[in-house]
Amino acid sequence: MKSMITLTINGQRTALEVPPSRTLLELLKGDLHLTGAKLGCGIGECGTCTVIMNGRPVNACLVLAVEADGSDIRTIEGESDGEHMSDLQQAFIDFGAIQCGFCTPGMIMSARALLMRNRNPTRDEIVEAIAGNLCRCTGYKPIIEAIEAVARARNEGGYKTSEDAHAPYVGGAAKRIDGVEKVTGSATFVHDMVLPGMLHARIKISPCASARIVHIDTGKAAAMPGVKAVLAGKDLPYKVGLYLQDKNILARDHVRYQGEMVAAVAAETEEQARAACDAISIQYDVLDPVLDVEEAFASQSRLVHEELGKYSWLKGVFFPKPGTNIAHHQKIRKGDVNDGFARASLITQYEFNNPPVQHAPMETHTAIAQAKPGGMVEITTSAQSPFTVRNLFCHTFGTPHSKVRVRVPYVGGGFGGKAGIHLEPLVYCLSKAAGGRPVKLTCRREEEFNTLPSRQGLHSVVRTGVTKDGKITALDVRYLWDAGAYADYGVNIGRAAAYSGAGPYTIPNCSIDSYVVYTNKVFGTAYRGFGHLEVLWAIERNMDLVAKRLGMDPYDFRMNNLLRTGDTTITGEPFTENHGRPDKCLEIVAKEIGWERRWKQPATRNASGRKLRGVGLAMLHKAPAMPTFTSCSVVIKFNEDASVNVLVSGVDYGQGTYTAFAQIAADELKIPMEKVHIPWDCDTDYTPYDWQTVASRLTVMGGNAIIEAARECLNQIKQMASHALRISPDYLVCENSRVHVKGQPSKGLDYKQLALGYTYPDGNSIGGPVIGHGRCIAHGLTHLHPETGQGLPALDWTYGAHAAEIEVDAETGFIEVLRIVSAFDAGKVINTQQCRSQVIGGVVQGLGSALSEKFIFDKNGCFLNATFKDYKIPTAKDIPQEMRPIFVETPYPAGPHGARGIAEHPMISVPSVIGNAFADATGIEMFEFPLDPETVYMALNYSGSTASVAGNKYVTLETPHCGRQGEP
Amino acid sequence: MSIRRYERPLTVKAAVDFLINEEGCATVLAGGTDLIADVRAGREAGLVVDIKHIPELNEIRWEKDGALILGSCVIVQRIAGDAAIRGRYRALSDAAENLGSYQVRCRATIAGNLGNASPCADNAPALLVLNAQVRVASPQGCRETALNGFIRDVKQTVLKRGEIITALIIPPRPPRLRSAFYKIKRVRGHDMALVNAAGAYDPDNREFSLAIGSAACTPVLVRGLEGICPPGSAADAVGDRLAERALADISPIDDVRASAQYRRDMTALLCRRLARTLMEADGPPANGIMQTGGAGG
Repeated sequence: MKSMITLTINGQRTALEVPPSRTLLELLKGDLHLTGAKLGCGIGECGTCTVIMNGRPVNACLVLAVEADGSDIRTIEGESDGEHMSDLQQAFIDFGAIQCGFCTPGMIMSARALLMRNRNPTRDEIVEAIAGNLCRCTGYKPIIEAIEAVARARNEGGYKTSEDAHAPYVGGAAKRIDGVEKVTGSATFVHDMVLPGMLHARIKISPCASARIVHIDTGKAAAMPGVKAVLAGKDLPYKVGLYLQDKNILARDHVRYQGEMVAAVAAETEEQARAACDAISIQYDVLDPVLDVEEAFASQSRLVHEELGKYSWLKGVFFPKPGTNIAHHQKIRKGDVNDGFARASLITQYEFNNPPVQHAPMETHTAIAQAKPGGMVEITTSAQSPFTVRNLFCHTFGTPHSKVRVRVPYVGGGFGGKAGIHLEPLVYCLSKAAGGRPVKLTCRREEEFNTLPSRQGLHSVVRTGVTKDGKITALDVRYLWDAGAYADYGVNIGRAAAYSGAGPYTIPNCSIDSYVVYTNKVFGTAYRGFGHLEVLWAIERNMDLVAKRLGMDPYDFRMNNLLRTGDTTITGEPFTENHGRPDKCLEIVAKEIGWERRWKQPATRNASGRKLRGVGLAMLHKAPAMPTFTSCSVVIKFNEDASVNVLVSGVDYGQGTYTAFAQIAADELKIPMEKVHIPWDCDTDYTPYDWQTVASRLTVMGGNAIIEAARECLNQIKQMASHALRISPDYLVCENSRVHVKGQPSKGLDYKQLALGYTYPDGNSIGGPVIGHGRCIAHGLTHLHPETGQGLPALDWTYGAHAAEIEVDAETGFIEVLRIVSAFDAGKVINTQQCRSQVIGGVVQGLGSALSEKFIFDKNGCFLNATFKDYKIPTAKDIPQEMRPIFVETPYPAGPHGARGIAEHPMISVPSVIGNAFADATGIEMFEFPLDPETVYMALNYSGSTASVAGNKYVTLETPHCGRQGEP
Repeated sequence: MSIRRYERPLTVKAAVDFLINEEGCATVLAGGTDLIADVRAGREAGLVVDIKHIPELNEIRWEKDGALILGSCVIVQRIAGDAAIRGRYRALSDAAENLGSYQVRCRATIAGNLGNASPCADNAPALLVLNAQVRVASPQGCRETALNGFIRDVKQTVLKRGEIITALIIPPRPPRLRSAFYKIKRVRGHDMALVNAAGAYDPDNREFSLAIGSAACTPVLVRGLEGICPPGSAADAVGDRLAERALADISPIDDVRASAQYRRDMTALLCRRLARTLMEADGPPANGIMQTGGAGG
């Protein structure tokens, strides 16, 4: 029964009729087309839908539209006229308080509500006000700073923006070029999009971890009102997969994890689609799931994929073992480990674990697809690469690439979870089955956790041989990746983590076996620094443990073994002076945290003896993990007024690459940055090829391509100018949007006179519109030798180090991170503000892994914590008191201006540094993260016990060698 | 979502009438922070009767005799920000301040998660130690019942069809009564309580009351505290005795949020901290959550 309601929205009275179930959020987005507020969880946990109702901030997903009758509502759209930013909007831009932009409208509304009720909020009040707004990108600190600046400026005539007009573009702090769209809520995400005639899809997921599908009855669902298409696995005889085609679009015959998609419906409304999903009846023959990775690794009878031998995969790179659960085995062999152990004076062995976790981007996966007449396909998706989606799509369906158009607009965070291909094939099949109407599928937050892929779990066994004076002679490691039900990115993670799997150290004799093992769990995929956070948990905890056994300062032990010029890596790559300075990074963070002083003092307890303080160190490294032939391309088009459009297909889903691109383009073309426009949508029909936006490779490869494209533009400009000015192009220079004769600035032409070709005073014209293209391909990379892993897998390595000081509340197990200092050899910092934001955001995301995030399964493999209620990511209250990013700049000669990738690295080794600091504080060695309060409490109080259904295991080292001073 | 009809009565009688006259399912809506999430997850709510526009349910009123009347639909943030409540009943104030995020506190009502019978309701232990009474409107008229016993089991209260909570009443309490609330969470941001606890102590007659949440099917008012605090008792000794009594009355389970063991140990810890906070003039500050750096005792 519908009711008539009247509301005042952003000062305008609106009357409309609504059904009683509609939420205020649905009303705003669906009926009133105010798309600034976002749907992030649907249960009031994330705050992305925050609007101000009668002066108070509320989650619009938890308010019924009928409840809002008579209310005054203020949304992000009322924050400014779109031309003149409000104080908060401007400050968010100025302070780099935006990355993907999905949380930004809700965040600004919470901040606005605070400023409405409190003229002079303290920092604590600011944090309290925004703690209900989750942000996965920024680490909150820049947001808090932005709000603080506005609050402070209120008593001084209001917030004023400022800009350093003299700062260079490259190496300066240019503001984000997508700032205005994101702070006004006008940036359109796939979540916000509605196409004419669009149907809505819902999925039905498996309730059990392993089962045979006996029967599916979709008859009742198909007959329900509004239903246009119902699909089950039997309708879709296609295999999908990134490197190994092992997955069905919908489960066929078997389900292999709880949460797997089994059937799907497209209907006129989402409610109808959902009701029809409920009406699909499925009969399962439930099987005993394979959940333990060790058991899965050893078993040849209980197989997750009986048909593994029949699948197709990328030969020569991946090595699945049919008849087992091993999807890939990566070997690294360098030197002779037996010999290395024979020369060791101490041999240690430790085991480490980490659980699967989720990326939790604020925008869940969502895609719109339409099967058009003539075999054309149009896909609009929240993905990290339009071209990879297209390529894998065409591979699955045998469609010509030219007939498939994939478009990626603003993306609300990805972190690797939106790399590859996910919902797109299913949504396309639904559209086809529905007669070609566009279909949209947006994952609910529960599905994002339960159905979409995760970061896989890892079990590591690390055996180390060292000499008395602290030189590593041998390292023998076995990594067992708990890949879950499908290979997806997992096989490549197993590969990349193997060639990075000894850490940034020189290891003369090394043997690594990295096994990617199928289990009946939600499958794994890339997650920020994929594989590296996991293996560096093992390696960096191991470095501390071994140092203590030697009675050596872990700082000295690391310094003894770090890669230096003249060394070779474990894949035989020579380490040169151009590789960067891991030693410098370590030196800096140790100095900043006061390591020397700390290490020589016993752990300091606070007065009551309940709070234990400790410091830790950890190293990190990563290179882009990508095919040897990875490439990208860029087009720069001059416009009539000599502004330029830079066309790229690498996706900026928050990391700030496009801003760096604009800086590089402006710098190279000698034009103001405001003249550089980068259209946000990537579109396989219009923007040039780029492989994928993953692996921290985009600034490096795309930046190079932009420089090449810009130079081509300048060549064209100079060619035309040389005719017009009757001088060889060699005598021409470009500056200030102008080309002129060297030494004679007045003898020249404005770019504007040449942008579309040059026209002589008599009307003759030459040249043509200026358009340049640039390309970049990974040079010199090789496949790794199948038996030894030797080869050149990596374009550029980025090294870094963290140091942290923590305080452990021994009575509750709660860890507070007091300080974390992080240093990276970035080669060249293109944008100081964006790099700082990447570090702070990455560190906080790493702290989520370190301190609270984990998947919890029951004994049947059912996923228990698929919401933000029970999967806790850091809030604004959970950030360290102090985070300090520091950059070392050893140029990478093949990078743009010497730059290396930096996006993933800040997250890597954050759990390791916390684990090391924890051991320093408590004398207890942890071998598994997260170090959540209960885990810590149990480790402190119940040595050897098992705590909760999470099944964490605690191991307390019983040898006297584990004391904090490490006396052997 | 499944809401068939929405009504917004302006009097208690009209609300009760809607509920009893409805033949199918009928549900009371206050803040909606639980109900609307439940409906999204598939709960059938049928007729939804939104009671928060009934003026008297939004009142905070101190009676002449010192009783405090909290209308059932007063939002939690109002309680958290009320200086008089903060001065007099710190436990209630801190419980309110530590419930959910700011946005949730702006919708959630003081009676909401009592009506939903949530075992981890943050305000329940605070109200229990303050001896709160629940005022209920029913088709037969108005009645009052003790909050202790009001929640019978997970998601079950003593309310019958057609009954709604109209107010919570904190009767006059001893003039020097001190109270405090603590909560154990997984993160410092908004989270459900793994364990929460409130205590109240009257230094004049040395009487203690103690309630524990999230450690049994219902929030538990701990029994047998008479004489727990004889003259000359040290706070730590009292804390140990409180913990002993509390552990006898709770029955925590292992679940996705915490193990029973952790809940038991944290219960004991909170009891000891409450004793120190309430009995020692220079005891740790009562500041709601344990995880705030430097605060929480």
